[in-house]
Amino acid sequence: MQSNGGWKGGGMGRAGPGMRGVVGYKPGDSGVSVVVLSLLAFCSPSSTLFFFWFFPSPPSSHAPSGVGTLPRQSPVRFAASVHFLGGSSNRSQKTMLRVLALASVVLLGIAPQASQAITVYTSWERHALVGSDVRLSCTFFSWRFISDDVSFTWRYRADGSRDTVSIAHYAGGEAYTDNKGVFKDRVEFVGNPKRRDGSILIKNLDFSDNGTFTCDAKNPPDIVGRPSSVRLLVFENLPIQAGVITGAIIGVVLGLLVLIVVIYYLMRFLVARRVFSLNVSKHGKKKKEGSQQRQGPAPPADPSKMKAAASEKKKQESRKDKK
Amino acid sequence: MLVLAGIVILHVTTVILLLVATIDNAWWVTDTAYTDLWGRWDLINLDWHYSDLKKYTEVQSDFLQSVQATSVLACFFTILALFVFVAQLFTLPKGQRFIFTGILQLIACLCIMTAASIYTAQLHTTDKKGGYGHSYILAWISFVLTLFLTITYIVPRKRNE
Repeated sequence: MQSNGGWKGGGMGRAGPGMRGVVGYKPGDSGVSVVVLSLLAFCSPSSTLFFFWFFPSPPSSHAPSGVGTLPRQSPVRFAASVHFLGGSSNRSQKTMLRVLALASVVLLGIAPQASQAITVYTSWERHALVGSDVRLSCTFFSWRFISDDVSFTWRYRADGSRDTVSIAHYAGGEAYTDNKGVFKDRVEFVGNPKRRDGSILIKNLDFSDNGTFTCDAKNPPDIVGRPSSVRLLVFENLPIQAGVITGAIIGVVLGLLVLIVVIYYLMRFLVARRVFSLNVSKHGKKKKEGSQQRQGPAPPADPSKMKAAASEKKKQESRKDKK
Repeated sequence: MLVLAGIVILHVTTVILLLVATIDNAWWVTDTAYTDLWGRWDLINLDWHYSDLKKYTEVQSDFLQSVQATSVLACFFTILALFVFVAQLFTLPKGQRFIFTGILQLIACLCIMTAASIYTAQLHTTDKKGGYGHSYILAWISFVLTLFLTITYIVPRKRNE
């Protein structure tokens, strides 16, 4: 590693002695190796172990080849400090990298193997109107990449029945739908298996379609998983769910209250600012007079207004005493 | 000082009554059933069973939801008015009226009045057996109390204490 290429900027002369020691070791080196390690650990944990042992230790920092200009430092002291700092940082960085690699192997290698089951997600319940179409979605999560043999299977169990029939199947890049049973010509596979989507579309619903639809997805070699079910309810007219009106009324009223309070304080703030800005723009330094004109009695009309104010205060006192 | 304590106690009592009216299930009582805004308890073979209010028609259940909403709002505004009253006790300048508290209390009063009125007008109009339970009566009483409290907050002015 060249000493020139390892450090950015030209402050070498002014930099402290410690910085000189790490010249020649690019910070990006350790990062690249950790990234490669973690990727390998992700794909196949066992191979990472080999990689880890055979991968050479990161390039250690070389002794500074050119001393260059170092102001105000005796050569002996500088050499000693460089050697000490360079050595310790090199060793600590090496150990840090090894610990990091080991940790990534442990975390990424062991963990996925334990929970490599495929998890399938569908909605919990779907409501639909008679005669309409409904799209039942099904996705899955798998630690493996999507293979070409990914398969989806949809089964249907009517309400009150104990039999389960298959109505849609996708395997080997081909979609097969029901062509003999209740869902003949009514089921269509609309998902995109390459994007983990195995949804189906059921057209022209009827009351007899009430039931449970189960989706099972397999992504070889990731085949262990539980299928997920979605319940379909067919209505004549969609009922308003319990509490929608309640929530709507409460929300609207509270929202109006918050809005009114905000507007009130905003208006007060704006009015105060308008008074201030008006006086500044028109009268300049006469701002005090302007505010007094809006609030209290003007100086020439003093005696009568003071009398009125005094009588008002007396009235207030009497009312308070009565209370 | 005494007047202040009395007002606070009255306000707290109103809050409690409103909460009981909203939560406790005795709006409509028959021999074997207690119903309220949220569900009904039926006495079946010496056992009480809780169930949803499914026996109402769709129109009635919409009205019931609005009764739920307005009674909950009444509770909320009354509690908020209590806190605002305590805050205004310390921050309001002398001689001013507790306008904000009064407005909140007025809204609470209107809400509970709306709730009780809708319940009276729309629900259980054709039921022959049974009568109104204590929660319903408390709702009307708290309407009176909130009205009185509104007047208390809006009309007199703050004393210097």
